[in-house]
Amino acid sequence: MSNVLLQLNNWYAGYGDVDVLNNLHFTVKEGEIVALVGSNGAGKTTLLRSLSRTLKGRGDITFAGRSLYDETPEKVFESGLVQVPEGRLLFDQMSVHENLLMGAYRRQGKAAIDASLERVYGLFPKLYERRQQRSGSMSGGEQQMCAMGRALMANPKLLLVDEMSLGLAPVIVDQLLEILSTIRNEGITVLLVEQDIYAALEIADRGYVMVTGAITQSGSADELRNDPHIREAYLGL
Amino acid sequence: MDLLFQVIVNGLLLGGLYALMALGLALVWGVLNIVNLAHGALIMLGGYAAYYLFTLLGIDPFLALPLVMMMLFVLGYILQRYVLSLIARSPMFNTLLITFGLDVIFMVLAQLLFTADFRTINPSYAGTHVTWFNLTFPTVQLFSFAVAMCLTVGLWLMMLHTRIGRAIRATAQNLSAARLYGVNPKQIYALTFGIGAALAGAAGDLYGVVSQITPYIGATLTAKCFAIAIIGGLENPLGVIVGGVLLALIESLTALYVGPTFVDVASFGVLVLVLIIRPQGLLGKTA
Ligand SMILES: Nc1ncnc2c1ncn2[C@@H]1O[C@H](COP(=O)(O)OP(=O)(O)OP(=O)(O)O)[C@@H](O)[C@H]1O
Ligand SMILES: [Mg+2]
Repeated sequence: MSNVLLQLNNWYAGYGDVDVLNNLHFTVKEGEIVALVGSNGAGKTTLLRSLSRTLKGRGDITFAGRSLYDETPEKVFESGLVQVPEGRLLFDQMSVHENLLMGAYRRQGKAAIDASLERVYGLFPKLYERRQQRSGSMSGGEQQMCAMGRALMANPKLLLVDEMSLGLAPVIVDQLLEILSTIRNEGITVLLVEQDIYAALEIADRGYVMVTGAITQSGSADELRNDPHIREAYLGL
Repeated sequence: MDLLFQVIVNGLLLGGLYALMALGLALVWGVLNIVNLAHGALIMLGGYAAYYLFTLLGIDPFLALPLVMMMLFVLGYILQRYVLSLIARSPMFNTLLITFGLDVIFMVLAQLLFTADFRTINPSYAGTHVTWFNLTFPTVQLFSFAVAMCLTVGLWLMMLHTRIGRAIRATAQNLSAARLYGVNPKQIYALTFGIGAALAGAAGDLYGVVSQITPYIGATLTAKCFAIAIIGGLENPLGVIVGGVLLALIESLTALYVGPTFVDVASFGVLVLVLIIRPQGLLGKTA
């Protein structure tokens, strides 16, 4: 439980000449669910993009004991750092089944891939029912399930989940949170990025609060939930 | 009446080849968003490759198909990887300009290397034909139709059922997501362009058997391919079969009823009509 899986030090990232993230320090340990919360434009998605290396960043980045600094996005993905991106970004002309297969694009071995398919369909029976449906024609909740299933097909070590709850009914969000807890118990570490801080802290072990590109607070989920600042600013209590 | 049926048969057979000619153009257009104005020139190069393999080495043009396709694949892969990738995702105008430049370069090079003489590939069975129901089916036209159909359906199946085909479609549908999921777009683009060029090569090989090659056929062929791709849409490789057959039939019927000089007028008339009535293509959703 205590091995560090992802470590960022002095991390900067941005677009063009403008840094959005400034001198970030950030740790995720193996087996944790870590929540990253912050308001619109804080830089959460920017952080995830820079972790996947689709966006350049500067500083130290270590994942599973290895520096990712010089790695291509393909290699980062292959090493087990996998995103469920903001807005889901499904291949929306493809069937659900094909989306799942794209998640396994970098994997070899039909037997192992079939086993993952079975596991994903077990977690999301809805996806199995709709496996031949064009993913773009599904409901928002189903699309989010498909995006999560696709990510699980990659055999992730660390799952980065960006704004999973956006636009979904509370019941569905609860279901999805439960599934994240389940897969964490199966050994997958989760970084959960949310504006819905309440939902995120419900299942998280620890949390970080991000404001305009910097971490302003961190602590256990309980500490953050009971912090008067946060209660006022985010929970409206 | 017999004449009409014969003209329809000729049109259908030619349509298969037209489909194959346009297939690579539609593929590259759909995936890379490049309307490759040098596509016809690649067909022309494929024709010369088959011609020289036949005249210098005695390789039958149908057996030479894999070789010609491989040569053009390599050319296409290199072109995309080292030339066209420089302008990746730049405005359509730039890609038109640069592929037009390539078209001119290939034409001039072909003229220097191969001279401006008409070339045609003449295997021993070139003049033979079979007769069914009183209709004549020239052997080479029949063969090339069959090969063209096999390659078109083959590409369709590859796109549907292989890992590479899925990755190509994924990249076309959502580039950011494809990158996040371990696809290297540069490699996919080069592969796609290579496949497009290989298909152009195959089409050129067959074209050299059923028709004549000169360094100057490129531009007209590109324009025909463009028309076929518009008619068939870019969504589904099978669309080009409909587009190819339709265009070839219109051309054949125009030649019969109006006169051979009006063939190009008719085919581009159809193109303009389709663009006006259904800008998304007759079959597809996007074009
Ligand atoms: N592609 C881009 N080009 C330039 N600036 C960008 C780009 N994407 C985001 N930004 C800017 O970077 C800053 C951080 O954006 P980011 O998307 O990381 O925020 P976020 O915390 O994910 O917000 P949200 O909760 O709304 O998703 C914003 O000021 C935004 O305008
Ligand atoms: Mg965001």
